[in-house]
Amino acid sequence: MKKLWTTFVKDVKLSYTGLYFYIEVGMAVIFMLIMLFVVPENFDQTQTYYVYVDQSLSVPFDESQLASESTVVERFDSRSDLEEALTDKRSAIGIHLKEVDGKFTYEMVLQGYESDSMKALIKAGIEGEFMSAMPGYVDQTSVETLEVQSERMSDREAVLPVYLVLNVGFMGLFVIAAYVFLDKEEGVIKAFAVTPVHVWHYLVSKIMIMALMGVVTSLIVTIALVGFKINYLLFLGLVLSFNVFGSTLGLLITSFFDNMTKAMGALFFSIFVMMFASLAYFMPSFNPIWLKFLPSYPMIFSFRELLLENGNTGYMVQNIFLFFGLSAILFAYTNLRFKKTLTV
Amino acid sequence: MITVKNLYHSYTNDQAYAVKGISFEISKGEVFGFLGPSGAGKSTTQGILTGLLPLQKGDVEVAGYDMHHRKRDMFNKIGVSFEQSNVYNKLSAIENLEFYKKLFDVNTVDPMKLLELVGLDKVAHKKAGTFSKGMKHRLTFVRSMLNNPELWFLDEPTTGLDPAIARQIIEIVKQKKAEGTTVFLTTHNMNIADELCDRVAFIIDGDIKLIDSPRNLKLQFGEKLVVVDHIVNDQKIQDKFSLINKEDLDKLNTIIQTGRIEMMHTKEATLEEIFIKVTGRGLE
Repeated sequence: MKKLWTTFVKDVKLSYTGLYFYIEVGMAVIFMLIMLFVVPENFDQTQTYYVYVDQSLSVPFDESQLASESTVVERFDSRSDLEEALTDKRSAIGIHLKEVDGKFTYEMVLQGYESDSMKALIKAGIEGEFMSAMPGYVDQTSVETLEVQSERMSDREAVLPVYLVLNVGFMGLFVIAAYVFLDKEEGVIKAFAVTPVHVWHYLVSKIMIMALMGVVTSLIVTIALVGFKINYLLFLGLVLSFNVFGSTLGLLITSFFDNMTKAMGALFFSIFVMMFASLAYFMPSFNPIWLKFLPSYPMIFSFRELLLENGNTGYMVQNIFLFFGLSAILFAYTNLRFKKTLTV
Repeated sequence: MITVKNLYHSYTNDQAYAVKGISFEISKGEVFGFLGPSGAGKSTTQGILTGLLPLQKGDVEVAGYDMHHRKRDMFNKIGVSFEQSNVYNKLSAIENLEFYKKLFDVNTVDPMKLLELVGLDKVAHKKAGTFSKGMKHRLTFVRSMLNNPELWFLDEPTTGLDPAIARQIIEIVKQKKAEGTTVFLTTHNMNIADELCDRVAFIIDGDIKLIDSPRNLKLQFGEKLVVVDHIVNDQKIQDKFSLINKEDLDKLNTIIQTGRIEMMHTKEATLEEIFIKVTGRGLE
């Protein structure tokens, strides 16, 4: 253990005099500043409706009844005025209210980028908002929520799990590969290999450096964004286990290549695939089974649980153990590979 | 100290061998020169002996360790000085040595004393990245002495150094030789090999062509002649006399007794000439 500690201390010295450490910390600070001063706590979700009421409508229509926190309604005198206004504001939706054969009806005037599912949503929204404003309308819709105690994070907090996974789980893939290839290029691996130390000393020291960087950078961002309202013991467990897993995976990929340029493709591909899990996070309706097998899936959702007031501690602890276990298996194989390839 | 039997190595894992079935032995306390041009297989052999390259085929024993089942504590007994300087540029000279010193399980030499030995003590606290090529080379060289190695691998220890520093390095090697250190010297500098080595091996195209002591090689391949510069009737004359021919020996005796000799030397072959004669190739 003395030799591991000696190697780690040397790596710390090299890291804080090197560029990578400051790039990592700098990125964390930039992300924190953007989240605090550029990104609002919650994104504006107000929907703007441009309405043209046709002369054929026999019942009076009062748009002021529709205005609410989430809705802005603006009335136009002609269909052409409405269409012209829509070209100026691409996020607005146009509605042409009219009466055909004595029945109240409407026509949606859309921008063209809307998908079928979005059209269906708009249709439901219009009917919910406008029909209820029409005389004689009876609302028979009932809403039942399955998750009674469901919580919602602010939009700013909701971005944090994805950032943390990217930062502690997968940026390590690149950085640890860069460290190893730099040592190879400078030949210091060979000098190290002719001393009575084991290859695992070298590898674990690199993983420890990555863990240290991961903890520092993720603490900077997390404390700034959510303060001290989360369980930081669990936070450390998650950061360390995911970071160790990411670094070990990075080392394993590195062991198959002899320089950074050749390894780049495999590293990019890994991160690209892993980031698919964020789709399920931001779009809960997209949640195929295969996505759940990506390591990034439980990582993102563990951080999400951590940020919730009543997060599932069991799920988080289970994932901490799972990722430490997976890391141990990956490391055993990586160590075997590096015994053969580190100095070749 | 080193036994190599039928050693083969291929970088492409096929029949294209960089080292082709070489065998040799090095005794304890011997300085063994491994001589050959670039690409001859010198570095490959040293790489296998130091564990940096895997042992694919053949048997190798280094410092009592079978390289098929080598153990890390073997490196407490050996030191390796690389041809290419490979120090941590962001650490100072003393930090570089202090770091490696802590990795050994045996008594080590005071890093500052090692730096003094090669004249780097005044820049001990400067970052190695600011050093010249020669300074880095000296740092790499003394790093290999940290653990007082019983077996010392030196790869081109004087390449790229100015003559004064090269002489300093040669004197250090001589001192270690006197203390009983076994040295495996890889070089293409025949003068250094001639001065330091008890025996040399000529390797070319992965094959050892010859192993013997520099003295025996000179006797075997040198011409048995004496060249004499002497003055006859106020004129400088150079004559060659055979050391085998009776008539020539008599003439030589006469000149020694009666003539005015300015210079006289045996016409022995240099290692380089012998190498070219044996292998048919130069060393560059």
